[in-house]
Amino acid sequence: MKFILNTYIKRSLILIALIGLASSCDVIDLTPANLIPDDEAFSTEPRIESAVLGVYESAQIGFYNDVVQRGYPFGAANVEQGDLRGEDLYNDQLFYEITYTGSYSPTSANNNGMWISLYRMINRLNIILEKLDPAFESGLLTADTRDNYRGELLFLRALSHHELLVHFARPYMDDPSLPGVPYRIFGIDEVAKISLGEMVRRGTVGEDYDQLLADLDQAEDLINEGGTFRASWGAVIALKTRIKLHKGDWQGVLDEFKKLEGKYAITSDPAAPFRSGGQSTDNIFSFLNSAESNPGTNGALPAMLGNPNTGGRGLVKISPLIWRADFWMVDDTRRKLTSSGGLGVYTTKYVDATSFSDPNVILRYSEAVLNAAEASARLNDLAAAVTLVNLVRDRSIPSTAASYTVAGLEDQNSVIQAILNEKRIEFLAEGKRFGDIHRLSGEGRMNGVPPKASSRSITNVNFYTTDREIPLSHAIPYTSTRFIWPIPLDEIQNNGLEPIEQNPGYF
Amino acid sequence: MRKFILSLMITVISVMSVMAQRTITGKVSAVEEPEGIPGVNIKIKDSSIGTVTNLEGEYSLVVPDDTQFLIFSFVGFKSKEVALTNSSTLNVVLDLDVKLLNEVVIVGYGTQERREITGSVASIKSEAIENLMSPSFESQFAGRAPGVQVTTPSGVLGQRPIIRIRGVNSISSNANPLIVIDGVPVLDSDRSAIVDSNPLANINPADISSYEVLKDGSASAIYGSRAANGVILITTKRGSTGKAKVSYNTSLGVNKEINRFELLTGDQFVSIANEKRTNAGQSPLAVLGTNTDWQDMVFRAGFTQQHNLSISGGSDATKYFFSLGFTDQESSIISNDLSRYSFRANLNHSVSNRVRLGTSLSYSFTEIVGLNVGPGFLSGVIYNATRSLPNVPIYDSENIAFDGFNVTPNGSTTGFGNNLAGPDNNISNIGFVIQNNEYRNRVHRMMGNAFAEVDLLQGLTAKTQIGVDITLANDFRSLDPRHGDGRGSNGDVYMGYSPASRWNWQNTLNYQTVFANDHSLNITAGLEYQFSKFYNFFGQGSDLSDSFYRKNNLISGSFNDQFTGGGYTERGFDSYFGRFNYSYQGKYLASFTLRNDGISDLAAGNKRGTFYGGSIGWRLSAENFFNSDLISDLKMRASFAEVGNTEIGSFAAFGGYSPVLGGAGAGIGYDRIANNQLQWETSRKLNIGLDMNIGAVTISADYFKNNINGLILEAPTIPSLGVPKNKINQNVGSMTNSGLELRVMSKVLENESFSWNTDFNITFISNKVNSLVQPLSSAYNRTVEGKSIAQLYGYQWAGVNTANGNPMYYSGEGIVQFNLEQDIDGKNQKTWRAYDPENPANISVLGDFPTRDFLGNTLPKWQGGWSNSFKFGQFDAEIFTRFSGGNYIMNESLRGLLGQGFSNNHVSILNRWTESGQVTDIPKLFTATDQDMWQNSASNSRFIEKGDFVRIQNIIVGYTLPAELLASAFDGMITNARFFAQVQNPFLFTGYSGLDPEANQYSSQLQFGVDYNVAPIVRTYSVGLNVGF
Repeated sequence: MKFILNTYIKRSLILIALIGLASSCDVIDLTPANLIPDDEAFSTEPRIESAVLGVYESAQIGFYNDVVQRGYPFGAANVEQGDLRGEDLYNDQLFYEITYTGSYSPTSANNNGMWISLYRMINRLNIILEKLDPAFESGLLTADTRDNYRGELLFLRALSHHELLVHFARPYMDDPSLPGVPYRIFGIDEVAKISLGEMVRRGTVGEDYDQLLADLDQAEDLINEGGTFRASWGAVIALKTRIKLHKGDWQGVLDEFKKLEGKYAITSDPAAPFRSGGQSTDNIFSFLNSAESNPGTNGALPAMLGNPNTGGRGLVKISPLIWRADFWMVDDTRRKLTSSGGLGVYTTKYVDATSFSDPNVILRYSEAVLNAAEASARLNDLAAAVTLVNLVRDRSIPSTAASYTVAGLEDQNSVIQAILNEKRIEFLAEGKRFGDIHRLSGEGRMNGVPPKASSRSITNVNFYTTDREIPLSHAIPYTSTRFIWPIPLDEIQNNGLEPIEQNPGYF
Repeated sequence: MRKFILSLMITVISVMSVMAQRTITGKVSAVEEPEGIPGVNIKIKDSSIGTVTNLEGEYSLVVPDDTQFLIFSFVGFKSKEVALTNSSTLNVVLDLDVKLLNEVVIVGYGTQERREITGSVASIKSEAIENLMSPSFESQFAGRAPGVQVTTPSGVLGQRPIIRIRGVNSISSNANPLIVIDGVPVLDSDRSAIVDSNPLANINPADISSYEVLKDGSASAIYGSRAANGVILITTKRGSTGKAKVSYNTSLGVNKEINRFELLTGDQFVSIANEKRTNAGQSPLAVLGTNTDWQDMVFRAGFTQQHNLSISGGSDATKYFFSLGFTDQESSIISNDLSRYSFRANLNHSVSNRVRLGTSLSYSFTEIVGLNVGPGFLSGVIYNATRSLPNVPIYDSENIAFDGFNVTPNGSTTGFGNNLAGPDNNISNIGFVIQNNEYRNRVHRMMGNAFAEVDLLQGLTAKTQIGVDITLANDFRSLDPRHGDGRGSNGDVYMGYSPASRWNWQNTLNYQTVFANDHSLNITAGLEYQFSKFYNFFGQGSDLSDSFYRKNNLISGSFNDQFTGGGYTERGFDSYFGRFNYSYQGKYLASFTLRNDGISDLAAGNKRGTFYGGSIGWRLSAENFFNSDLISDLKMRASFAEVGNTEIGSFAAFGGYSPVLGGAGAGIGYDRIANNQLQWETSRKLNIGLDMNIGAVTISADYFKNNINGLILEAPTIPSLGVPKNKINQNVGSMTNSGLELRVMSKVLENESFSWNTDFNITFISNKVNSLVQPLSSAYNRTVEGKSIAQLYGYQWAGVNTANGNPMYYSGEGIVQFNLEQDIDGKNQKTWRAYDPENPANISVLGDFPTRDFLGNTLPKWQGGWSNSFKFGQFDAEIFTRFSGGNYIMNESLRGLLGQGFSNNHVSILNRWTESGQVTDIPKLFTATDQDMWQNSASNSRFIEKGDFVRIQNIIVGYTLPAELLASAFDGMITNARFFAQVQNPFLFTGYSGLDPEANQYSSQLQFGVDYNVAPIVRTYSVGLNVGF
């Protein structure tokens, strides 16, 4: 009996030991190693700085086709899309053909990529905007640091919403009561906020511009002057000149421009803004790329636009239309910011075809100058307009060539035209062309996208060097559905409450 | 094993008879079980009197004096009828019944007799597949068992087959079944960042003795939260008592692509390419040159071989199985290659009658040489080979800078030949790329477990088992700086190391008893813990100083730009479970399981889930009233269970900020929105089935219905919210899979010289999404309520306008045409115009854009397999046929090959519209109109076809050398020898016009049914030898 009892006791002990061991095992209370939880993300000053850097990252390498790649929205794509919607760059391959020929749809990738990556960036910054006051109150940030961050983020919010308005809404100068884009002013970082966000409507273009300027006015008061790779007071003002130009607020443009005078300067060498590491006196604001973080071989400007003979991929060339334009002097030094090969002419504004580290220049003083020139001309102050445009032009043309004069340009209209032409030359391959087509078409000065060199037709450099006929195609009249991009299908389909309206004509 | 599971039936003495009696005692054993077989049934012939043997295999039975015969029967052994003599002692040795061995079925944490199973379990015989040439075992499951769907989506070795058990059982969580090897759930994660590296390819199929697929809820409920997608239980080979048996199996063969794309010749290309341009008012670019088929550059006859050597045997106490395996398989695509070296040692040892120990250990080394197979990648092998210009040569012997390949001097693209332009998108010379770029993945895989079991009391056994699964994976990719993918960054070398490890600890208590003669109980209770860790890091260098250094490894100092990165995640799982099996006289069967599981992926408060399952069975044929000469066995069964899916993504419920590196510096970015409310994804599975034997025919039929609730979905949010990835993990939606399965097996013919066995199965299955928050869309597919998952969705083709060659599509009810007309003074003529059937030439009315619609389901509605095996003297043969259908395929490969740019085309483009009145399905050629002509960003009914097919999967012929011959020729050294020849994938019967109806570019549940530049599936010819010593 004793033996049996012992055996039982022994066996029970083994059993208990096993169960005891097993139940001491805790394997399910784990936390991710790569995610800082929401409630800890703003708990120190360096983390707040990190979060702000995260906004710049989302601006520079955003979402495209469900993957972070290709430099959406402001790492490269704003340039590629902005110029290939216009006529001054020419598409030679499939990469940008949908944009170039205007065959986009609510599911095509480029227009979707812009929408998605811009709003991704906007949500990142809106979340931080809401965390700044609590951080100040808890003593993590000084009032000045908080204000500077707020100014920075408000600038980026205006910049990105304006990019959306240019691509997805009709121009202000046509009719400010037409549908704008949803202007997002609160962050969405909880499931519960989704439905609030889904209820935000497109609003009108006018309301959106009011909000843009409200953001920028506030930013102007809050932000400090600073370098060229973080938003600064100068960037805020320069952006205001652009936005007021889109509004047709000519006096507003001039008022803003006056604030910048003396703080920046046009460089005597037109290449300087691209050869100075983005830090010339002309550079106001750029997004940085680096060897470690860039839009990659399928997006980076030096790859896409660069000459294949110097390591680029040459998918996009300068269009022979502008190359042969009579308003671009043959010996203009800005022609030296290009290189040619047997197949055509390429820009050399972006040079690092190996590591893709060229910054993407967003705002230059030259733009503010030409904006002011145009505003002066619109207000019929032609002398001032010509003086301003000459600041840009005279540094590039041979000393033997004549500067513009009011008399030489004859009338207000031709002064305006000269300024617009100058913009095409000066900002070639900087992504600004569609912005101008957009606003000028809204105003009625242009009728939509002008004819372009037919996609894939420019197969030899002799289209540039001789008077060989350039096949023309792809014009989009202002009234066409395709003048503006469709709202992404996902935006409409995935709204469980009330989807925003699609742009007319798209399904 | 069998011994102890069935061991503890209590010896019962049968009823005494009034007649004169005597007592017979003895011991039942077998060569394999010399210490005695417990649980053997002993019956007096033509009587119901009987008993069973005790633990030691001993019995004692009182028999009437006139008893002449006793019948000894036990599962797995041949029944034996033994005549009584005057002796009161009768020792019996039973013989193994090889055929019946399958009747003991592994069911998860234990075994069960086939005839007592009330769930739905399909067994797949290892012998049927182990001689076949395949990179991994599961690719050979296709068509072998009803309800088990396996698709090999391409001919790339290392790509994992898609396995679906009873349909697609999750929308955006993992839909692969749980795979358990020797009781340990394997870590089923592809650890390569550069090539497809199927984790199951690390396992040597020759080491496996049996596969059991648990299909219904009750069978899989014991795996509770991991059972939603079904469970595949794999048992490896173990030794048995006896002298060492050595066996060597080998096969050698050749892999060939089953089909190639039909492309234009160089001369045809020139006229087509120029017509595209002249129609658009542009200058011709193509000039007559060579006739090159670039597919010659990428396809080959790949040599393939496998060798397996095993030794097994053992003493009464210790049994062993050792094996060595080697395989090297070259795919039909250059330079894809898979080789594997594997080793296994399985040991069992009985310390005493009550204590047993054992281990299963395996190590394998797998190397996969891959390549760029991206369907739209410029150096993607299929994309490139089918687009490259056929009128330019591959080689240019003078071009020494590019190793004699035809490449432009700046390295940006393939040389132009006589043409005035290079290929679209500057695609590279694929010959150069294949020769110079390297993609390699190496995996060391160690899987093993050790167990100990103790019989605590009679019938009560405790077992503990610790399993580990370690994957040490490393990647190497080297891109040439001169040309191809590496040119952009002046060369690139990448090395990554991605180890993953898992430990799993199971403790079970099993109690078996039989009481009051008729009631048999089998109760299992247990605990299980599992912890998995996934590490990865990489180093990468680009802008190389010299290509010399890039061949084998990263070499410090040889590159200007250097990058590094890494990540870590971990997942834990624990579980408390019980199973209760009850049988009354083997007639009424019931089983119930209950399990409470916890996972680390969910937030506190929702981590745990309780899952249950139950089943009942009724063996009608065991009833007294059942009296049929025709039907020898008939069982009805029904089961219901609620199970879960744990593969919902690590830390699925968690949110927060991840590190991000931007040009302006390293920061943090909002990466995932937290959803603390996230719950388990659960499936409710119902199964009603029937098993019967009618004469020589065995029939098994099942009806099943799986309701999946609380589907965890990466629910899309509107992009303008800017929520990370535009997704939130939410429990939304429900889905049903239902269907019928039928399996019929029979011995059709058997006589001395000839036998014919047939085994046929078919499954009808339908999938329906019942509720969803919103439609889920991807480029080709859309999933909506009320239809099966992943419908093809896109534009509805309306043909080619015979008057002007314009492509036409439906826009709502009406038809619109895209006007292919040269722009006039830059004014856009190429816009959508209304189509008037009465006046097709009228293009004056502007039309709307085409509209989209549902264009077909992508999941097969029926599928199955049919195996016929023959024996004729020393010859054997098998023909295995597979079939599937009811689904539609979007032939994106063909759409891409009808592009309007400066690229090669499919031959059907020769049918393009050229003159008024011509009826064709290819519009007028017109350069740079791909998007409008073919509506590229969605499916297009022009390219949608039925996916029905019948495939002769294998034909095998074998010859076994006569035993006498071996005995005389080799002195008995060789016990058996068989030569065989086989063709895998010899014939395909289908109406589908693409290369293969099973080709599939995407394997996710939501994106499916798209044949998009997929490397063709291989056909394998091989010969081999099985020999035993």
